[in-house]
Amino acid sequence: MKIIETKNLVKRFNGVYAIDRLSIGIEKGQITGIVGPNGSGKTTLINLLSGVLKIDSGEIVVDGTEKITRILPHQVFFYGITRTFQNVRLFEQMTVLDNILVVITERNIFSSLFEKHIEYHHKIAEEVLQKVGLWKKKNQLAANLSYGQRKLLEIARALAMKAEVYLFDEPFAGLFPEMRKIVSVIVQELKQKNKTVILIEHDIGLIRELCDYIFVMNEGRLLAEGKPESVLERKEIIEAYFGN
Amino acid sequence: MGILPQLILNSIIAGAIYTLVALSFNLIYSTTKFFNLAHGVMAAIGGYAVFYFSKTLGLDIHIAIVLGVILTGFVGFGVDKFIYLQLRKRKASNMVLLVASLGVMTALQAIIAILFSSRFKTLSGNIDTQKIFTILGGVITQTQLVILLSAVLIMAGFVIFLYKTQFGKTVRAISDDEEVARIIGINTNKIIGYIFFIGSAVTGFTGILIGFDVGIEPTMGLSLLLKGVIASIVGGVGNIYGGVLGAFLLGFVENFGIWKISGEWKDAIAFALLIVFLIFRPRGIMNK
Repeated sequence: MKIIETKNLVKRFNGVYAIDRLSIGIEKGQITGIVGPNGSGKTTLINLLSGVLKIDSGEIVVDGTEKITRILPHQVFFYGITRTFQNVRLFEQMTVLDNILVVITERNIFSSLFEKHIEYHHKIAEEVLQKVGLWKKKNQLAANLSYGQRKLLEIARALAMKAEVYLFDEPFAGLFPEMRKIVSVIVQELKQKNKTVILIEHDIGLIRELCDYIFVMNEGRLLAEGKPESVLERKEIIEAYFGN
Repeated sequence: MGILPQLILNSIIAGAIYTLVALSFNLIYSTTKFFNLAHGVMAAIGGYAVFYFSKTLGLDIHIAIVLGVILTGFVGFGVDKFIYLQLRKRKASNMVLLVASLGVMTALQAIIAILFSSRFKTLSGNIDTQKIFTILGGVITQTQLVILLSAVLIMAGFVIFLYKTQFGKTVRAISDDEEVARIIGINTNKIIGYIFFIGSAVTGFTGILIGFDVGIEPTMGLSLLLKGVIASIVGGVGNIYGGVLGAFLLGFVENFGIWKISGEWKDAIAFALLIVFLIFRPRGIMNK
């Protein structure tokens, strides 16, 4: 079953197509890789799926029924979609713990005004922070973390949202091997829980290891799709986009 | 009676008023990131609303104050919803928002002047003759005591609101990164609307207190806002404690500055302090 489909999706910047009539379908419960050279439209696609950018034309279908032509960022959460950013974006002036707690905060103004976070919230926060190894740093300001820790905190924040679809934009970039291992385990665990992961990644080894299916993009268009072991064997793709 | 205790008391009272303006200005600025010139005029709206409710309609002064605060909150909320929000949706730059707020300020001031005339008015005629207290040789009025108490309570309220409630975390998230706040499901425009209500209501209340202490006039907001902004910048924009520190520093520098010279120099001294900080410590006392 397709959890997200794009139909003739178009996004232009100053007349130049960043996404050009893209139609792809993401299977539920799988790890789907989006690969392609820099500027091929991978991040733009994620930005469209997460409502950060407005769709110029075409539509996104969520769960086979919900057709969306204008998606507002704060509604993305209610569609069960969450994301991380290529350049880590945290709530810098808040503690590690608050970065997680704010995600599981009551959205109703009156209850949020008069309620504190209770044990239930702290349990979720502890669970995700333990998973990325940041529980001991829970009282530190996010701004004071190292690059790798920041990246892990962003992933923990996404996990705390208990979403159905996780859009990870280069989650492994710049991480030490042990941190890469943590992220890799998280991605596989999400799959085991029947969650959907969309992974933008340049490391072909990781793509082969983790992804069930991949889409290869170039200049905003779909170049190839299929299982990584077959697509990545194709000579023209290796030569054109991975240089080896 | 020595002049020193009185100077200290005056400084503290001025600091308390600036604290209230700095806190509410900071709250709105940190979430919207634009310089809302119309923020000060909310003080005049609060003051004139109480004047209207108590003197024209003859309502009980306490009810008039409550209504005045709520009304000011709604004016702030309305200005955001019908003007600033529409501009933000159209991706207006902060400069456009600043100019729009200048327009809002001018319009609101003009409306107040049309409805109530530009003449200076005082609210204190309606309450019993003010009690006067002597503290360590300095004189302080009942209203001024209320100002001090209000500043302490509202500051404590802000700290609890921002750091102890779930809503406060949401607000801090928006001031850190509004786009990410949206991604995690926060309806930022709605929250900013509430922030305008709260910020404007606090400034409206400040205007009411000033109305009892000194008096009100339609243009009272701008100079008050500028003092609040100086306090914010001196203390560190976006930092609650910085705002309070800046407010009291400004109160003391202003009042001690005119110890030996004419009181007309007060504003010049305040802006000199601002310039000194802008040159030597532009991010304020608290922000590194």
